[in-house]
Amino acid sequence: MKKRLFSILYMFLLTFFFTSIVSAVKIYSQAKIETNQRVKLQRIILDVLRMPVGEGISNRRVVELFDQRVRETEGKDRTLYVGYAEDGRAITGYAFPVGGPGFWGPIYGMVAVDPSGTEILGVAFYKHSETPGLGARITEDWFTKQFRGLPLRPEEAKKKIFYLKSAGTAQAGNELDAVTGATGTSRAVEAFLNKELAHFLKDIWPEVRKKG
Amino acid sequence: MVQIDPGTLFFAAIFTNNILLTNFLGLCPFLAISREVKPAMGLGAAVVFVMTCTAVLNYLVYYYVLLPLNLEHFRYILFIVIIAAFVQLVEMTVERFFPALYYVLGIFLPLITVNCAILGASLFLIIREYTFVQSMAYGAGSGVGWMVAIIAVGAIREKVQKSAKLPRGLEGPALTLIITGVMALAFTAFSGMIQIQ
Amino acid sequence: MPKRLTNTQIFVQGLWNDNPVLRQVLGICSTLAVTNLLVNTLVMNAGLVFTVTMSSLTVSLLRKYTPMRIRMMAQTLIIASYVIIVDISIAAYLPDISEALGPYVGLIITNCIVMGRCEAYARNNPPWPSFLDGLAMSLGYSCVLLVIALVREPLGFGTILGQRIMPDGFTPWTIMIMAPGAFFTLGLLVWFLRAYFPLVTQEKKER
Repeated sequence: MKKRLFSILYMFLLTFFFTSIVSAVKIYSQAKIETNQRVKLQRIILDVLRMPVGEGISNRRVVELFDQRVRETEGKDRTLYVGYAEDGRAITGYAFPVGGPGFWGPIYGMVAVDPSGTEILGVAFYKHSETPGLGARITEDWFTKQFRGLPLRPEEAKKKIFYLKSAGTAQAGNELDAVTGATGTSRAVEAFLNKELAHFLKDIWPEVRKKG
Repeated sequence: MVQIDPGTLFFAAIFTNNILLTNFLGLCPFLAISREVKPAMGLGAAVVFVMTCTAVLNYLVYYYVLLPLNLEHFRYILFIVIIAAFVQLVEMTVERFFPALYYVLGIFLPLITVNCAILGASLFLIIREYTFVQSMAYGAGSGVGWMVAIIAVGAIREKVQKSAKLPRGLEGPALTLIITGVMALAFTAFSGMIQIQ
Repeated sequence: MPKRLTNTQIFVQGLWNDNPVLRQVLGICSTLAVTNLLVNTLVMNAGLVFTVTMSSLTVSLLRKYTPMRIRMMAQTLIIASYVIIVDISIAAYLPDISEALGPYVGLIITNCIVMGRCEAYARNNPPWPSFLDGLAMSLGYSCVLLVIALVREPLGFGTILGQRIMPDGFTPWTIMIMAPGAFFTLGLLVWFLRAYFPLVTQEKKER
């Protein structure tokens, strides 16, 4: 009986001790983790809005630039990030988050359109669970830069806005290169991104245009 | 967020995203397991049961207890505790109602607790943001996939070691790994089969 | 029954003779998955070494106080806590790598080596030798995985640590990026070592 009591007490003390240590580490690092995530998102937003945020730009500069040039506003079902020119008055583009099922898990990205809503400024993916070296290549420049200048035509509602084809076979203006060896991921991206873009044009953009 | 229907997810977990052949999880008991098919099936069945139930339990604990209290970082501790407790429960039940099976499985039953695949399945379903039903399908599918992989590789290994003259040093883990590699290769052929959307 | 080994002997034994991966092929589950990139392997190894050594040390320090019946629970708790600390640290200071590693850091908990060393050695031995044993075992394990990564990344991506090292005409072996490549590489490595550097105990078994 005494042994049992001691065992229980021991486990209790041990648990208390270790969970305290873990909690302390968590609290200490929490701020840093959140900053990392926030700056990463801001960097992506600036990037798709074609603002100068290349490789060497420090986190501090990213935050500065974001504060200066981007304003958040509420779209119909998601946050919109409005990019402004240096003078602070002319709108240079609208960025909005997109997401959908990838091959392994959900993929989250950011899309930016030009002020008239007829052309894509940029696309970037910031969270995914795809295979490194294969599906994960959707984050690479060569893939995302393909989306720049892609026309958005709301009249052609039935058709997809873009298609992913095997490398080298893309011909029409709206056919882009898929990732070689990552058919699953490429198909998934084609499906959800088209859906998100169509949804944006149909439901979110009209409101934005109204607000001016 | 993910919109795969549970039935497809179940099959995907067995073939295209097999937790052992694609995610490398659950290898330890694999390399040590006996070459008899019967105990392998018994163990496999136990693993399927544990995996499905713990996937569901861990899902509930994560979304209804940990997240609301802002304690997601404790999920590792909580998940493994739940798995250990559950395996203990299974062990007691099997000992009581299926003593023959208990005798055959021996030490492998409690070792299910440290099977990477079980904890792995729970962690993956959180990362991939599966819903409740999807988690159940994924847990069951992963368990079945593990079982299929183990039995298949075990059977091949048994055949090879019986009938072939092996070069020095190949017998045992090296052979098992290579057979597993070939099987993993074969399973990648399935990846075109499942349409996610 | 086993003689009291000197500290150096303990170290060597962990690194070579009893190398957990090569001799006992244990604990490959969690780390094999990330060996397709050298940098991920290095970070994962660091996490594992930290966990194994600290867990062994802690279990050894507490060995006289821990009641027999609950020692598995206590060990699990200790190991899980260190793993959480590693996971949080990587997420805070190496966020991109943390995303690439995914759940595999958490899976260090179920890695047979960590629990294995605690059970087999740390709970019966003083702190310093336990620390060394854990260190040796985990370093031995890390070396093997580094070798595998040094095969997988150059052949699969053509790079090492992100720097391109293969000639321009080289077509990457995509299979090396995926699971089969890892299995084959490790299998071949184990085969090679067992064939050319057999242990006395092994030869006895094969006879």
